[in-house]
Amino acid sequence: MAAPYSQFSPSPTPVNVCVEAVLESQIQEVRVVEKPDAPDGHEIQEVYVPPLSMSENLTKLAQKIDFYKDESDEKGKPTSEGEKEEEEKTGAAFQPSLWPWDSVRTKLRTSLTEMSVLLDILNVSSSKEKRYMVLDPVQQNAPDPKLAVQLMSKRRALQSAASVLQSGAERLRKSHAEINNKNDFHLELLNVRQKWRLKKTGTSILGDLSYRSVGSRYMHNGVFEVVKSSDLTAEGEFLAQRGSLDVVVPTELEGGAYIQVEVKSVPDTMDLTGAILRVPSGIGPVRSETYWQQKLEKAQNVLFCKEIFAQLAREAVQSKASIPHLVVGNQIITNVFPGIQLSIVLCHSTGKEREKKLPQYKMDHNHVLEHSLHQLLRENHFKNINFPAPHPVTALVGLTKKRRLAGPNALSRKQLMDMSDSESMLDQIIKQTKHNVLRLRTMQTIDGIAATLSDPQLTVHWSCCNSSTEASCRVIITSQGYDLRVWHSFVIIIGVDSLKVIIKEGRVFFLSFEEKELQDFIMWQVSQHQISVSQNLARLMGWQIMSTSTAMGVSDLESSGTASSLILAAPNKERILAIKSGPSSGIKVFLQQSQKDNKNRVILPDDKWQSVGADYQQVDLSKFEGRNFASKLELLLATFSHDLSSSSS
Amino acid sequence: APLTTEFFLQGSVMENSLETLVNRLKGLCDNADYQQESFQDHEMVFHIKNTSVPTPLVFRVRHSLVQTECWSLRYLGHAEVGDKNRPTLVRSYIDCPTSENVAQFIGELGFRMDHEFVVKGFYFHKGRMKITVSKFYKMNQPGNTTNDTIETVCPSYLVELSVVTSSGQEAVGDDMKNFAEQLKPLVTLEKTDHRKIQLAQT
Repeated sequence: MAAPYSQFSPSPTPVNVCVEAVLESQIQEVRVVEKPDAPDGHEIQEVYVPPLSMSENLTKLAQKIDFYKDESDEKGKPTSEGEKEEEEKTGAAFQPSLWPWDSVRTKLRTSLTEMSVLLDILNVSSSKEKRYMVLDPVQQNAPDPKLAVQLMSKRRALQSAASVLQSGAERLRKSHAEINNKNDFHLELLNVRQKWRLKKTGTSILGDLSYRSVGSRYMHNGVFEVVKSSDLTAEGEFLAQRGSLDVVVPTELEGGAYIQVEVKSVPDTMDLTGAILRVPSGIGPVRSETYWQQKLEKAQNVLFCKEIFAQLAREAVQSKASIPHLVVGNQIITNVFPGIQLSIVLCHSTGKEREKKLPQYKMDHNHVLEHSLHQLLRENHFKNINFPAPHPVTALVGLTKKRRLAGPNALSRKQLMDMSDSESMLDQIIKQTKHNVLRLRTMQTIDGIAATLSDPQLTVHWSCCNSSTEASCRVIITSQGYDLRVWHSFVIIIGVDSLKVIIKEGRVFFLSFEEKELQDFIMWQVSQHQISVSQNLARLMGWQIMSTSTAMGVSDLESSGTASSLILAAPNKERILAIKSGPSSGIKVFLQQSQKDNKNRVILPDDKWQSVGADYQQVDLSKFEGRNFASKLELLLATFSHDLSSSSS
Repeated sequence: APLTTEFFLQGSVMENSLETLVNRLKGLCDNADYQQESFQDHEMVFHIKNTSVPTPLVFRVRHSLVQTECWSLRYLGHAEVGDKNRPTLVRSYIDCPTSENVAQFIGELGFRMDHEFVVKGFYFHKGRMKITVSKFYKMNQPGNTTNDTIETVCPSYLVELSVVTSSGQEAVGDDMKNFAEQLKPLVTLEKTDHRKIQLAQT
């Protein structure tokens, strides 16, 4: 406060109290100025810092005051105020005796009032709640920037920032290089976790490779362990292919395994010589450095095959079927048909055996049945887990709708037993095997006959809609050259152990698995076809059918089936033709001799007796021209038609 | 017939968390690749008053609106909280599938229908544990279960985990507790004391 107090002095005795600070400006710079009239030729000039104006001064001092300090700090009032208070106190003490100081006293009192007002304002504005007045700090003019200092400070700041960034980049580069390194255990572990269920127990990481989670109820728990692998193998070589992770599978699941199903015909009894441990040729030793996925998959496959075999063996032992099944070591042998043997072998090689030169057995895999076994086990798993949803939802879980309605619908005990019957895996695979064998046999039989038989031709069309226990085919018998006129067909439905044949007229026959029955049947149908062709040709040529019979009761007994016959009369009724066709006797044509041939009639010379029939003579068809019976017969019929017509004309 | 008991735990979720819960259950339960099973049931609750016993006997007739020939008659005992060691609620549970005229039959025995409702929701199972996420609807017209005559009671879903077995198999409670732990942040399945709900009603 450098203002003089002269303005507050009263009129009678003006006493000028001047309170001034030492007004000395700071020297901003000292200049040397060229002046011609100076003694040295130059003069030293001092340039002062321009003194602060009133507002600037007030700003500077006000900035020093911290308005946001606590109230407790407010107790220590700014020093200028304190001084004023002291002065006021001293002023008040001297009041009674110093009468001429009265004006001073009043002045000090007013100044006290003003200071109190200022104090009140400060109290109000800086109170904790700041409800009535708020004071903001005043900005001072920024000092002139000094370029050199700024440059230095900026450079230092940039340098520190650059060092921070560089250290961060260095760290990132190092970690990136680590990731790129293929032998990282944790990355491999991540990959393993994406494919297999892993669990951390204690310090070890265990995994589950069994089929438990999809419905298997096998005893084995299929636990494998994931470990960090060492860098060197036992032989001291470092294999680049290996990662830093290795899996340890249980010893009983090591190596590889597969189920081999073989169907072969044995002459009389079961072939027990096959029941020895076979070393499969296809697998070979499994390298211990196999990458973990292959290793785990192989172990899982071993477990699956073991489960299949265990279930089949259990069922084979417990079954009460009429044909006993034989379980020897790793092989199950059973007869499906007399003379046909089914053997299921579990081939498991652990890879640790020494390479022995064992005699190689010719292994005959039936891949279809092997695949079927895998499918059947998976079906079992599925049924174990998948229950149909109960409706209403409060009903018992695990029952089918039919079973739930068995009570309200009052099903009998027999119906319930039928519903609950389910086939064992062994039964199912035996059924499939039987059907397989039967189908192949049927195919071979039909193809054999078709290949050897040339007169009527056999064509077979196999249906593409079939299942593992049922197939069907249609056999068509035609004569070449006349196949659009007449044909014979029948349908064979091949079941598990019998054939069902449906012929043209709709009759159904059931044949057993014996080949001979089917052969006989086909030959019988062939003989029927010949008669049909003859009938057709006769109608075409104008011959009249006198009689026909599909089951002749006369003449020699056929070895199978019955012979059929046809008697034709020529258009002019002069000739009679008799055709007999049998499955084993073949086709025979007989021509009735004409009376006209017999010239030596003495007893009955009348013409009318010539119409009476005479003996029949067999026609030798081999002397006829013609590719097959139908064309020969056509020629024969034509000959007689023509002959008679020419003789008549 | 052996007396069967039901071990169960109950919880609830709001509608906006239904999708998350269903996805989690799909992953935890069996048949993850099967399509989701849903159900729609209509339940009628019948009472018969006995002068000697203060509380009436309650029978529940429930039938599915999806497979309409499946009806069942149920009796539920009171839910026992039991001691702290038991992780689940237990109640006696007798249930049998019936023919379609069961409502008429018990009506002639003397039962009177107290109330009825429709339940719709999803069904999951893991082993023998049954998990249902259901929403309850009250029927505006008695006997009419078409969509336009039913309205929801409240927007949240009831989640129930239950196993029905013969009494005495306490091990199943631990399996249920372990399963409930896996659903923990989404829904807390716990033993709610039914008596408290009944007291609040009266």
